[in-house]
Amino acid sequence: MPKRILFLSLLVFLSCAPRDKRQKIVFWQFWEMPVIQPQIEAFEKAHPQYKVEVEQLTWQNGFDKIVAAFASGQVPDLCELGSTWAPQFASEGVLLEIAEGIEPMKSHYLMWEPVTIGEKIYGFPWVVGTRAMFYNKTLFARAGLDSTKPPETWPELLNDAKKIKELEKDIYGYGENAGERHILYKKFLPFAWSNLGSVLSPDGKKAVLNSQENKEALEFLVSLLPYAMIERQDALDQAFKQGKIGLLVSGAWLLRTIPQDAPDLRYGVALIPKPDKGRGIHASFLGGEMLVIPQKAKNPEGAIELVQFLIQEENAGALAKAVKTVQPATREAPQDPYFSEDPYQKVFLEQAKTAVHPPTHPKWVVMQEVLNDAMEKAFYRKKTPGQALDEANARIDSLLAAP
Amino acid sequence: MMKRILLWSFVFLTFLLSSFPLFWMLFLSFKTQGQFGLQNYLDLMASGPFARYVLNSLVVALFVVLGNVTLAAMTGYAFARKSFHGREVLFATVLGTLMIPKQATMIPVFILMTKFHLLDTYAALILPFLVDGFSILLVRQYLLSLPPDLEEAARLDGASELRVFWQVVMPLAKPALAVVAINAFLVNWNSFIYPLILTSRQAMRTLPVGLALYAQGEHSLDWGHLMSGSTLSALPILLVFLLFSRQIISGLTQGAVKG
Amino acid sequence: MRARQTLLFLSPWLLTLAAFYLFPVVYSLVLSLLNFNPLSPSATTWAGLANYVKAFRDPVLGKAAVNTLYFVVGTVPVTTVLALVLAILLNRSLPGQTFFRAGFFVPTLVSMVVISLVFKQLYAQDGILNQALSLLGIQGKAWLLDERTALPGIMVMDVWSAVGYYMLLFLAGLQAIPGELYEAASIDGSSKLSQVFQITLPHLRPVALVVIVVNTIRSFQVFIEVFVMTRGGPLNSTLTVVYDLYERAFYRFEMGYASAIAYLLFAVIFLVSLIQARFLRLGQPVGG
Repeated sequence: MPKRILFLSLLVFLSCAPRDKRQKIVFWQFWEMPVIQPQIEAFEKAHPQYKVEVEQLTWQNGFDKIVAAFASGQVPDLCELGSTWAPQFASEGVLLEIAEGIEPMKSHYLMWEPVTIGEKIYGFPWVVGTRAMFYNKTLFARAGLDSTKPPETWPELLNDAKKIKELEKDIYGYGENAGERHILYKKFLPFAWSNLGSVLSPDGKKAVLNSQENKEALEFLVSLLPYAMIERQDALDQAFKQGKIGLLVSGAWLLRTIPQDAPDLRYGVALIPKPDKGRGIHASFLGGEMLVIPQKAKNPEGAIELVQFLIQEENAGALAKAVKTVQPATREAPQDPYFSEDPYQKVFLEQAKTAVHPPTHPKWVVMQEVLNDAMEKAFYRKKTPGQALDEANARIDSLLAAP
Repeated sequence: MMKRILLWSFVFLTFLLSSFPLFWMLFLSFKTQGQFGLQNYLDLMASGPFARYVLNSLVVALFVVLGNVTLAAMTGYAFARKSFHGREVLFATVLGTLMIPKQATMIPVFILMTKFHLLDTYAALILPFLVDGFSILLVRQYLLSLPPDLEEAARLDGASELRVFWQVVMPLAKPALAVVAINAFLVNWNSFIYPLILTSRQAMRTLPVGLALYAQGEHSLDWGHLMSGSTLSALPILLVFLLFSRQIISGLTQGAVKG
Repeated sequence: MRARQTLLFLSPWLLTLAAFYLFPVVYSLVLSLLNFNPLSPSATTWAGLANYVKAFRDPVLGKAAVNTLYFVVGTVPVTTVLALVLAILLNRSLPGQTFFRAGFFVPTLVSMVVISLVFKQLYAQDGILNQALSLLGIQGKAWLLDERTALPGIMVMDVWSAVGYYMLLFLAGLQAIPGELYEAASIDGSSKLSQVFQITLPHLRPVALVVIVVNTIRSFQVFIEVFVMTRGGPLNSTLTVVYDLYERAFYRFEMGYASAIAYLLFAVIFLVSLIQARFLRLGQPVGG
């Protein structure tokens, strides 16, 4: 009996808790609480009229939740969106257009493309994550290659991969992706872009996927296959850490896990090779996280204040330093000694300068599928690179033609 | 005798083969940064929200089990023993609810919960699953395999319908109810998608969601913590299973069917 | 009076149906007749039966349907038979009976996401499976990356994780069989094996309905394994209907089309279940 009374009175007490007078800002993001919490607390201290409700989303299924929220109108005030998802949301008109105070900010940040439609901007860049080339110095030395000179061109890359593959049965020269269809296009495009190829014509009205440059890029990737380990990204990362792969295009998350899983690994990071000495650029995939405010947000003013706080150099920088897998999207980041003095982070920031973002087109998501399909067919030798790209080009053209 | 040994060896070998992945999981759960130990487990148990996640999962699972063992059982009984207008059609709806993929109803359920103002509450995680089609089906089928003699006898003795249900049918249906309990606990305990979209605050998270947040990064997987979390997560269900599976041991319930 | 009491017994289900199933079911049915983009619900247009027509013409969906059928046919009978055999064997008193039952049941305790992740590692080029095979002198490969072995690999994992669960159901069903029947048969001189066929199996019919029908329904809806392990690849060889549906709803934002696919799947599952129930005569009560 007394237990029941206690329980009931506890219920009553809890429901009578004093009401919070502060304005609520609902913030959905993907980072772990220990990482984001200090920033939230700092913000609340500096802006005592606000109370931020942070929700951490899972990387695998958080997106479903975001879609459900938009579909039902129950949206957060501020939401983190991956740079590959943001264009879709922006083009559907469900994000708040940022008009005031944006001009002075523009020059300070990279990666506005995912939230830019024409002249209008629908969000803010937060952190960038590009891809660079990791190489195993020990394997280089064993193969008779200069471990201080990672390959800068495609012919050099092919040659190095070949030499390393010859070392031993279970050693591979290169790591090529397969088995995760949905990211294959991210592996192809850097090479296409390096060769100055692109997916769409500059006006976005025509597909130029089957251009000579793109075909060369895909042919090159296919030519690496005999010397490559063909597996999913996490398996490739794992194999690289175990010293089984000579060269691998991967992301900054490796910088975090190599010290944990393979502290003795002697490795380096370099820019992704370009087609040849006088040709092309060192392109990579420009990705990262954006911060957007839904049109239907209940507290857009609060959200804007929060965004401006989060993307400041010191805060975005603090986040980047805590997670080590991304860099802040600010242009000043390379001057921060943390990044400029770290031999690996330095390369990533350098690479981000020539990294390219996929076309911002409302149907990009479907085009991605078409690209992934073409990659798969080429890698599994169902079609030659030329055929695969021709077919993909036709499909994208018909996509563009449809209303 | 030989036959028994052969049978036993067959069972044992099959057991070893099928446990192989599980032993590997257990092995991984003790591995952290190249060393072996309990670190993964300690990390999880020390992480503040973990205890809360377990509590939430427990509360929700407990209520769902209770609901299914009583309410769903009632419905199953009605389908098995009573004849009424539209029985076939209604039973078809029971099966029908099992046939619609969650992915198609996720968003409307989310909208529904929003309209009911039930987001981020225990109610959202409990109410829709209180009376599950599978439980109804199981009880009905089990009762169909039992002769209705005892119930008839009780009715003739003047017992009310409710009484017949509680005092005659429920005890008879123990094996089925045990399975219903285990199943309801299991499905709910490991349920991921609905808790994910229906809860927001960390305080309302359940174990599977909490574990995913903790161990599944964007590009990497924290195997040690994921495995230890999964092992810890499996323990309560194992307990429930052991508790209830006593009901499913030959000989315990057979006597009741005799006249 | 009787009717009112029956209503009382049915009320929990009726309430649940009305509160939590009616709306989502009608909502998604209506969605299937619309062009609905979840990101901009206000731009919805009427599609009529266009989504359904599109479904029949969609070669990718066709592949998904074939894969799903292959999955169902390949896993349901195997799981059912294995579960039945194990249940019968573990029903008689054998040393370590409870231990074995628990052991076979453990795969069911672990969430499918985790099991899929574990098997994904197991099946990798340098995973444990290949290491074990190399001890036997067999050269393994990356099982999930080959379009011929990816789906079978997932099917094996599925059977592995489901057998214990259905074994449990059969074990429960076995309790309803009066022991006297077996005694009488033994006295009559019939062998243990023929007793299984004459007594056990017929009495298990109602429970077998649950096992087969539920397993079929769930197998038609296979999703998590594909999502975690292969995302439908390589080359659509592991694409299942529900996975295709999910991709269209959440990545292509074609929710109307996805709903149409869901209803077509529902119709198929319903038909199959009906056939199973009638053909196997599993719905009828066992004679006293």
